[in-house]
Amino acid sequence: MELLSKLNSPVLYLICGGIVLFVAVICVVFAVRAYRMGKAMGIDVGKMKRVITASATFAVLPSVGILLGVIALSGSLGTPWPWLRLSVIGALHYETQVAEAAAEAAGTGGLSIANMTPGAFTTIAFLMSFCIIWGMVLMIFNGKTYTKKLQAPQEKKEKKEGKKKGLDLAGFGDTAMTAMFIGLVSAYIASYIGTIISGSGVFTFTGSWLPLAVAVVSALAMAVFIKLKEKFGAEWLDSFSVAGSMLVAMTAAIFLGKLV
Amino acid sequence: MEENRKYESYLKRTHFFGRILTTVVLLLLLAAPFVIGLYLKAMPDIPAAMKAFLGVGLVYLVSGIVEYLIYVPMLGAGGSYLAFITGNLINMKIPCAINARDIVGVKSGTPENEIISTLSIATSSLVTILVLALGVVLMIPLQPVLQSPTLQPAFENVVPALFGAMACKYYRADKKVALVVLAVMTLLFTLVPSLIGSTSMMVIPSGALAIALSYMSFRKKKAQEGGQK
Repeated sequence: MELLSKLNSPVLYLICGGIVLFVAVICVVFAVRAYRMGKAMGIDVGKMKRVITASATFAVLPSVGILLGVIALSGSLGTPWPWLRLSVIGALHYETQVAEAAAEAAGTGGLSIANMTPGAFTTIAFLMSFCIIWGMVLMIFNGKTYTKKLQAPQEKKEKKEGKKKGLDLAGFGDTAMTAMFIGLVSAYIASYIGTIISGSGVFTFTGSWLPLAVAVVSALAMAVFIKLKEKFGAEWLDSFSVAGSMLVAMTAAIFLGKLV
Repeated sequence: MEENRKYESYLKRTHFFGRILTTVVLLLLLAAPFVIGLYLKAMPDIPAAMKAFLGVGLVYLVSGIVEYLIYVPMLGAGGSYLAFITGNLINMKIPCAINARDIVGVKSGTPENEIISTLSIATSSLVTILVLALGVVLMIPLQPVLQSPTLQPAFENVVPALFGAMACKYYRADKKVALVVLAVMTLLFTLVPSLIGSTSMMVIPSGALAIALSYMSFRKKKAQEGGQK
């Protein structure tokens, strides 16, 4: 508990808040430059204002969803660090997975404040920062070249041979991404089943069933979200589905935990 | 002509600022755990972090490259620098930029798209930063409640809660592959329970198996489509 109050100390708020503020300034600078350039190019000011209003209203709901993610992670990592991670660069599913893997490698057995040590926390924080840098790295080293290539005349691109093959591979790209996530999720769900069956000795069936039960509740909640979305065409529910399902399952864990 | 020159110089400066600022943010993010380490008197364990990277990080290396290749054409230069700094691409930035583009009716790769998507992504990022900052301030008085022992089982199960939701989302995409991979991995963990402690490393064979199975069914589908033609 002492560590958790350190993780919620003003020093951490200052470090994380400073970076968040810096990123906010970058956003303002880019927005002002784009607005001025748009005006100079003769883009209708009314249109640009509509884009700003629409984007702001569009972002409110997903942002509340992201805030729920901060709450979900705050119990094990304190509030400032998840706040930074989810304000800048991050995404809830990414942060939780990477934090769990780092916790495992740091020897705490999993993402839990009960076993957290200062060393484990900084290792987790480092891995969370490191694993997701690739988009930024590519933008720094290749962004200029890549965006220039995209501006090249369309006909040239179409003449290129092997285009069809490229499209085929791009088609598999999406499938491969989904498959990768199926593999990732399956490894964890299987480990929960394995824990029940062989967690306290091969085929003893005495391991904890709580993680699997929580996962099942979360999956059911997600199924409800998906059904509601499909039935009422409520696309906005997508912004809440993952964080919402997690919070339902985490609440269930409090009650299920008493039964274990 | 004059307008073209102005736009070219705007793009040049966007790349100049974009590269410098992205580098600064990158360094700040990587340095933060070490600065926090000074305060907590415990530095990150790099070998342990690298071991975990081999397990779970490689997935994000690949998805980072794919996201870069797919999204940069949609977002333009300014929008891409901002989007990769601020993250939350799939769940917010991309749909937000597409929504903005639809509202004003511009096409990818045009100067108008460059301006509109930069405006859209900058605005949405600022809203997220504001909502999160407000939320965090409101959470401070709730800190003792969040730390109460009653709530601990909830926070200790944040990972199973995530994977349950994700399983429901992704298993729907390919139930057969999901079932086979889940069965194989369950068998493995049941017969060799010592592997449970290093689940993040087991993501590699699990992911490889899922991709291999998906590729096989992808090829089969393509061959069938070819046959029909």
